[in-house]
Amino acid sequence: MRRVVVTGLGAVSPHGIGVKAFWSGLATGACAIRELSVIDTEGFRCRIGGEIPEPVAGSMRRTRADRFALAAAEEALTDAGLAPDEREEMALIVGAVGGGMLEAEEWYWATSRGRNTRPVPAVRSVLPCAHADALAARLRVRGPRHTVVTACSSGAVAVAEAAALIAEGVVDVALAGGVDAITRICFMGFNALKLLDPAACRPFDRDRRGMSIGEGAGFLVLEDAAAARARGARTYAELGGYGMTTDAYHITAPEPEGDGMARAIRAALRAARESPAAVQYVNAHGTGTPQNDRVEARALERVFGAGAALVSSTKSMIGHTMAAAGSLEAIATVLALGHGMVPPTANIETPDPDVHFDCVARTAREIALDCAISNSFGFGGQNVTLLFRRR
Amino acid sequence: MPVKTRVAITGVGVVNAGIVGDSAALGAFLAAPRLAPGVADGDVARVPSSSMTGVIDVGDARRLSRVCQLSIAAARLAVQESGVDATRGLGLVVGTEFGDLASTHVFADGFLERGPSGLSPLLFPNTVMNTMAATTAIAVGARELALTLNAPTVAGELAVARAAAAVASGQAPAMLAGGVDEIDAVVERVLPALGFTGDRLGEGAAFVLLEAYESAQARGARILGEVAAAAWRSLPARPWGTGRRRRSLAIRAVLERAGIAAAHLGAVYSSASGDRRRDAWEAAVLSTALGPEAPPAATLARLLGRHAGLGVLRVAAAAWTARSGLLPAATDPPTVMTRVWPRPGLVHGLGRGGAHVALVVAGA
Repeated sequence: MRRVVVTGLGAVSPHGIGVKAFWSGLATGACAIRELSVIDTEGFRCRIGGEIPEPVAGSMRRTRADRFALAAAEEALTDAGLAPDEREEMALIVGAVGGGMLEAEEWYWATSRGRNTRPVPAVRSVLPCAHADALAARLRVRGPRHTVVTACSSGAVAVAEAAALIAEGVVDVALAGGVDAITRICFMGFNALKLLDPAACRPFDRDRRGMSIGEGAGFLVLEDAAAARARGARTYAELGGYGMTTDAYHITAPEPEGDGMARAIRAALRAARESPAAVQYVNAHGTGTPQNDRVEARALERVFGAGAALVSSTKSMIGHTMAAAGSLEAIATVLALGHGMVPPTANIETPDPDVHFDCVARTAREIALDCAISNSFGFGGQNVTLLFRRR
Repeated sequence: MPVKTRVAITGVGVVNAGIVGDSAALGAFLAAPRLAPGVADGDVARVPSSSMTGVIDVGDARRLSRVCQLSIAAARLAVQESGVDATRGLGLVVGTEFGDLASTHVFADGFLERGPSGLSPLLFPNTVMNTMAATTAIAVGARELALTLNAPTVAGELAVARAAAAVASGQAPAMLAGGVDEIDAVVERVLPALGFTGDRLGEGAAFVLLEAYESAQARGARILGEVAAAAWRSLPARPWGTGRRRRSLAIRAVLERAGIAAAHLGAVYSSASGDRRRDAWEAAVLSTALGPEAPPAATLARLLGRHAGLGVLRVAAAAWTARSGLLPAATDPPTVMTRVWPRPGLVHGLGRGGAHVALVVAGA
């Protein structure tokens, strides 16, 4: 099996456009969750989320999510220093959920009110695979391409899928990540499930009341370590291993003992040939819902033992960016390794006494890191853990 | 991905407008092919609700959306035929083009009719495309990786290719690979208005159970066929468009990996479905890759309507053809049989937008 390294990063997040803005927001513990403007929230209990704060360049004929994806993907490729001919046969793996639903909703809403019944071109982009199709056409990708939909773990699964293609020798280079724009369906759905906190989410706080939704895109360039070295590429980190499991328990609730999550973490450790003691930092899924955080903490304790690693939640600052969450959090983990700094969990007032970990409340912590994991879980019990090592 | 460990097909499950059952039902259909109800009239080939009786119990039927029921029914049939023990490690890959859009529309309509109080928390999970994989994983006890792959036209073949790679690389000892789609009223109305005409649309689900060849032999499973090689690539095209490039990296990769020359293939199962521009592009790609000695080709979309399950069905059908030496003829509709060499066959899919999949499938 070949070793896989990260050589390029690209992000569009509620902290702004670009990896620099993303890391700056994370390192300062800034919370980018604010009143939503992209959709009408009138009549809902929660009216906030992590929205992209500035216009993203690109043709307005593209969907909002496609513009996010293109901006993050192009930043990652530029960062990796890959010339167009070096990326023609690369793999392209995209994690997606909402596709171009935001624009399709506008058409559907109008249709239901008897207006504008002719389908608009955006309706063609409603499917999650629309992002990969748009990226492949724009970037002229000819290698393996697929779109994975594993709910909120989609972005992390895309990274794992790309790593598998490189490790197995199918390709030398892969562009992988996740993307989602805030949509009415998603916002309304989490409201209907009463999973949204009317205030900014507080993962791992004793009094947490739910999550905040968000949007964005995160893309990583992954490469075969030998190929990256041969072309003199800068390497951020090594993706040492990953684990993917399924709870097969419930469509929305995690298995209460965290068995599926723990199996994913152990599988990542096994693949990377690391012991639990090697992991110093866990970038948690950490949504802020009472149930998720309790079960995730339980799974972490089963694998690592109480207090054995620092744990923090990126979602406390940017909200739950759905299909983008796993890849944005993978980027956060890679940057934490590189900067020797663990981003905090914002908004914690009273740490949950049932969470037996230091959750790095409110302020980032400087610490030399060699090994960290990023957890992502999704509806349907879809668990993924990515393990990164400093190079 | 390279197939290192040999990958056997040990179970088939199909629920669509023309076939309900396991590999025996598929074989019976292929031996006497006929148009599914609806296809002959140019309508969508729909699955009658009675098709799932006996596979889906009353509780599931009440609780689950129709597309989830289709998925679970076909997956259960494949697991049942293979006799695999899910507790020893079973994963799942589901390919779909439209997911559960029907539930998404009902969910949205609740809001549009009654505001926030009209939103159903029970329906919301169905608006996420992995709902079929999630409910199927629960139904069959699949606790290894469970992926949902979304692509136009090629989602089913892609699911088989990805699942075969998981078995070959040891990611999971056994994998269910399936495709499922349901044609929802809004999709049916919108597609022609967006310029998609001529496609013969269908719905339904199909699954194959894949496992390591040696393990299957060791437990005495009946081996129905083998995925000898699988690859997926992109051909240049605009989203939802067709392209001009004919040189297929995917076909070249699978022929190399399977160690077979184009002239020694027994048959080709293509994804042609009546979409003229896409069909012409695929024909050109196949002709360029396979040359003048290309084997006879068949497509099942003309019989059963295009849906993600059909890609999986073509894989199972290619295994049957490699065993029997029979191929539904390339007439329109293909209701007569052609005799072919009982050799490994090529399963090929090319979607609008350029997603492109090839597999070499051998008989037992």
